Amino acid sequence: MKLIKPLISSLLLLALIIILNTKLGSIPPLGKFFDPDSGFWANAETAIPDSDVFSFEDLEGEVSVYYDERRIPHIFADNEYDLYFVQGYITARDRLFQMEMQTYDAAGRLSENLGDRTLNRDLQTRRQGMTYGSEKAMDLMKNDPEIWAAINAYSDGVNSYISKLSPSDYPVEYKILDFDPEEWAPIKTAHLLKNMTRTLAGGSSDAITSNTLAFFGNDFIDKFFTVKPELNDPIIPSSKKWDFDPIPVQAPDSIFKPASALELKNFERPEGVGSNNWAVNGSKTNSGFPILANDPHLGLTLPSIWYEVQLHAPGLNTYGVSLQGAPGVIIGFNENAAWGTTNTGTDVRDWYEIKFKDHTKREYWHDEQWKPATMRIEEIKVRGKETVLDTVIYTHHGPVTEVRSQVNEESETSYHALRWIAHDPSNELKTFFGFNRMSTYDDFKEAASHYVAPAQNFIFANNEGDIATWISGKFPNKWEHQGRTISDGTDPLYDWQGWIPTEHNPNVKNPERGFVSSANQESAAPDYPYYLEDDYAPFERGRRINDLLAEMENITKDDIRNMQMDSYSYHAATILPNMLEWIERESLSERELSILSEVEQWDFYNDSDKKGPGIFRWWWSNFYYGIFSDEYGTTNASLRYPSRDRVIEVIKSEPDFEFFDNINTDEIENRSEIVTNTFIETVEELTNAYGEFGDNWNWGIVINNDFDHIAFIPGFGKQNVYSSGGSESINATRESWGPSWRMVVELGSEVKGWGVYPGGASGNPGSPNYDSTLESWRTGELYELKFMKEAPKEFLYELKFSSND
Amino acid sequence: MLLTFLILITAFLLNLILPWWSIAIPGLIFGYQFKKSAWLSFAWGFLALSLLWSGQALYLHFSNDGILSTRIGTMLGVGSPYLVILITGILGGLISGLATLTGSMFKNNSSNK
Repeated sequence: MKLIKPLISSLLLLALIIILNTKLGSIPPLGKFFDPDSGFWANAETAIPDSDVFSFEDLEGEVSVYYDERRIPHIFADNEYDLYFVQGYITARDRLFQMEMQTYDAAGRLSENLGDRTLNRDLQTRRQGMTYGSEKAMDLMKNDPEIWAAINAYSDGVNSYISKLSPSDYPVEYKILDFDPEEWAPIKTAHLLKNMTRTLAGGSSDAITSNTLAFFGNDFIDKFFTVKPELNDPIIPSSKKWDFDPIPVQAPDSIFKPASALELKNFERPEGVGSNNWAVNGSKTNSGFPILANDPHLGLTLPSIWYEVQLHAPGLNTYGVSLQGAPGVIIGFNENAAWGTTNTGTDVRDWYEIKFKDHTKREYWHDEQWKPATMRIEEIKVRGKETVLDTVIYTHHGPVTEVRSQVNEESETSYHALRWIAHDPSNELKTFFGFNRMSTYDDFKEAASHYVAPAQNFIFANNEGDIATWISGKFPNKWEHQGRTISDGTDPLYDWQGWIPTEHNPNVKNPERGFVSSANQESAAPDYPYYLEDDYAPFERGRRINDLLAEMENITKDDIRNMQMDSYSYHAATILPNMLEWIERESLSERELSILSEVEQWDFYNDSDKKGPGIFRWWWSNFYYGIFSDEYGTTNASLRYPSRDRVIEVIKSEPDFEFFDNINTDEIENRSEIVTNTFIETVEELTNAYGEFGDNWNWGIVINNDFDHIAFIPGFGKQNVYSSGGSESINATRESWGPSWRMVVELGSEVKGWGVYPGGASGNPGSPNYDSTLESWRTGELYELKFMKEAPKEFLYELKFSSND
Repeated sequence: MLLTFLILITAFLLNLILPWWSIAIPGLIFGYQFKKSAWLSFAWGFLALSLLWSGQALYLHFSNDGILSTRIGTMLGVGSPYLVILITGILGGLISGLATLTGSMFKNNSSNK
């Protein structure tokens, strides 16, 4: 057969085409991927986009979107349906992949496209009731005509964009991961909003506090977790007097101890998730009008977590940052007022030990009787594998997680139910829509009063000269320290017995000191009659902001901008002089002494060109763990570590604190020895990591400021940004966390704003606009925000939308 | 040479409207028409698409200031964006070379005595 050779050749050709058209492991289909016409090359942006015209029959009128030189969209519409439709469309146009990833993650559906490597994450998401919470949110939003109309309009807009896409138009991440965009739906907005709650109120230390209480006892808990640092400077100053009678709540006689030492996996929420905001009134500013500032601290990613936008429609003109998947502006200003937010961190997430009747888990004990549990089947599709069905048991507290002992394998499994504010119906957008349109303090108060979660310290300033803050959210009315440890799921006294009436939430308006501020610290002074939380951020940023503002006069926007970049470390100032006093210089080598003198000369500012910050940070960390890790290491149970500010107070006042001793050695170590030994250790570690002492020890390098791509695709982020800052400084940049947006707004007859986020409007890694503002952010520059009163004459390009005629 | 040129032009036009593997079609057809020897067919077919694809890639690389190709280079672990361009050319060339070879084999075998 003469046809053998050509047939074999044909088969080889076919095989090669098939192989190059198939995803192999994490390698995308190579032929498709490298095709210059429709593969990743098609995403290489070669010119600024052209102006264009689109028709969609759903639209009611005409909409114009003007893009300024930073490619920020300014949407001008003549009705709200069109406005939110187009907001959905253009957000998808820039950030579709990000929109989908966030909502898949929040819905526990990553595995559908990414395979079984994300199965555990999806299972956790479902078991914690994220999808359950989204459904409850939807129920509430459906009953709010304004919000329901807006999220549907937004959804229509996103879908109009997606429906016009051909595979070569897909964002490059789809081509790498080899899947297609799916149709958008209003519930995805609910998923996105619940994701905010997970990010900002999705951690709890109940289990580790229970363990620590059992392990170290009451005195340890009181000393480190109950007593507050002297230097605490609460958000609502103690000058505020509370003029209501608090609703009483009944506490149990003694605190519940859960069965044995236990482990709970939470979404890790490293320090750095927090923020700063402040507003000064006209008495302190140069202009005589208030100035408001906000810098939310979140994960630093590319593309940025935020998307700048202006929304202009009848009765509405607002500018600020938005989230990808929800209509409206989340942080920003309008023609009359400005607002900002920081995370409160109230304890709205509690775990309850459940006593089931038997292995069927159909009934559980509560309030002296057996109550029925319900089952919810979560279906998780897994790409390339069989669908996984997970049965989650729900009690009246919430969904149940199985917990095994970390300490004793023989121990029986425990069951913990999660009571979490994310499971409660919520309509966050109502608050933000209210902020977008507000002018007076009463408008602000009214909008904030509807807010449920995640609890936020909202700050306000307006043209009338008012400044205010409301700590907003729906808070359970708890007895002192309720929910700090694992609760007794059988005893109604441990349930959330009621809610704090919103009017009783901590708040202050026009305080005497002339400014309001928050930096995730203690919500209110000890005289506030309700219990909210015991685990706030350390005092440093809050106190530094208040110290500076108290001194400042004739404040301008540049003063505020400089404040946002302030890298002073109160933390170093309160302990480093002592460490330098305690260290035993006789034990140090020449080299170590010379490095020590570098630290001695440091001025406590976490600036990128200094070597002091890096050395101090490592030294403090080694010192801290040197004190605690020997005792903490004697059990496998996860324990809670005390906050640094309280530890500093204790070690300064107690030279004989028993934890100084390293229990693994025969001698009794003291404070000086640990300080000295850990300094020597630090010098060695830094040398191993960064080489000989020199500019490579500069904080700009040691800070390790990286921006990862949102799906961690290598090459799509930005590594080793030479930054200043620290978690305890106002400029709270650190590793992959930090100010994700910096905004300063000057109120007045013409409201003006300045801002920056690190990244760019475009979510396309092939665009120069993807990371174009990173450098400005790094150096603390702010762009003037083009807040347009009417349609501009000059712009970079324009997109026009109308219905089919 | 003519063979290469024809494959290149046709592949360019086809790929504008058809999926990536349509670049195999000109090789099959023209490989059959030109009935060159196996290795020459492969070589000319390879040259056609490696020139076309790396040419297109190079153009996009420069027009984009190398932004995306550099990122893809890091992602794939090859380092340089020029390697990315090279790989692009090689992939296109391989398909087309094999297709042209296949085409020529049909003609050569069926026209035997």
